[in-house]
Amino acid sequence: MPFDAESGGSDEDLLLAYGQGDARAARVLTLRLTPRALGYAARLLRDTAEAEDVAQEAMLRLWRIAPEWRAGEAKVTTWLYRVVTNLCTDRLRRRRGQGLDEVPEPEDDAPGAEARLIAQARADALDAALAALPERQRQAVILRHIEGLSNPEIAGIMEIGIEAVESLTARGKRALALALAGRRSELGFEDD
Amino acid sequence: MNDTELEALFSAARTDRPEPSAALLARVMADAMAEAEARAAPAPAPRARPTRGGLARILGLIGGWPAMGGLATAGLMGVWIGYAAPGGFDAVTATMLGSGYDVSDMMPGLDAYLTEG
Repeated sequence: MPFDAESGGSDEDLLLAYGQGDARAARVLTLRLTPRALGYAARLLRDTAEAEDVAQEAMLRLWRIAPEWRAGEAKVTTWLYRVVTNLCTDRLRRRRGQGLDEVPEPEDDAPGAEARLIAQARADALDAALAALPERQRQAVILRHIEGLSNPEIAGIMEIGIEAVESLTARGKRALALALAGRRSELGFEDD
Repeated sequence: MNDTELEALFSAARTDRPEPSAALLARVMADAMAEAEARAAPAPAPRARPTRGGLARILGLIGGWPAMGGLATAGLMGVWIGYAAPGGFDAVTATMLGSGYDVSDMMPGLDAYLTEG
């Protein structure tokens, strides 16, 4: 049976198996978790090369902690998202220190009528608006609405209470709606 | 922009995810294997320390190998005395000198001092 990201049991079972030296478990975890670490890091950093470095570093930390992983204490994905969040926060702070906070705006290629282009334009517009949010709001909105995690999970990742998560996502969404209001028709939404 | 529209943007973002390159997956997997190998390898041998066995400890107490030299001599002497002593001093002289002589033969007789000329 071929091993892919969907086979091989829970993340935790696989991590414990890898901790015992099971290479196949490492392979399934690599295929299953690297895309998530990379996707989230890319969204926070808006730089694919840097996001790849962060994803590899986060996975390396996962390999290192495997032998000491205590079953039932935390979700593997929660732990991984937290590590990625912290690594990205460090990188963003370093960027600010170097005066490189201004992330390049995505190229605004004129969206055509085709749905594919509209979808791309929407993703790009959202990325640009997300980049303008305060750091914690941006993390909470991405985890909730793009990564699709639950509020308790996000609370665990960000090490804050659930109410604080709700407040951050609500404020983040309001800010996004405001920032994107002027681009509705450009993004393919009908005028009321 | 309302919630539905915002959700449409989130939905577009969810499908617009970077896929990890084969090179990145290979690097992650290589890290996993390297870590597993590092753990499986025997821990570096502790600095070779001479094992101090029972003999070495006793030697230490009495002063090391030089003292052992004297001890060996004394031991051999004891063995020899143990072997030889039951026969009495006569046996020693008999062994050394043969039965034809007596201790008195080794000593000058009084006559020798009295005899003149």
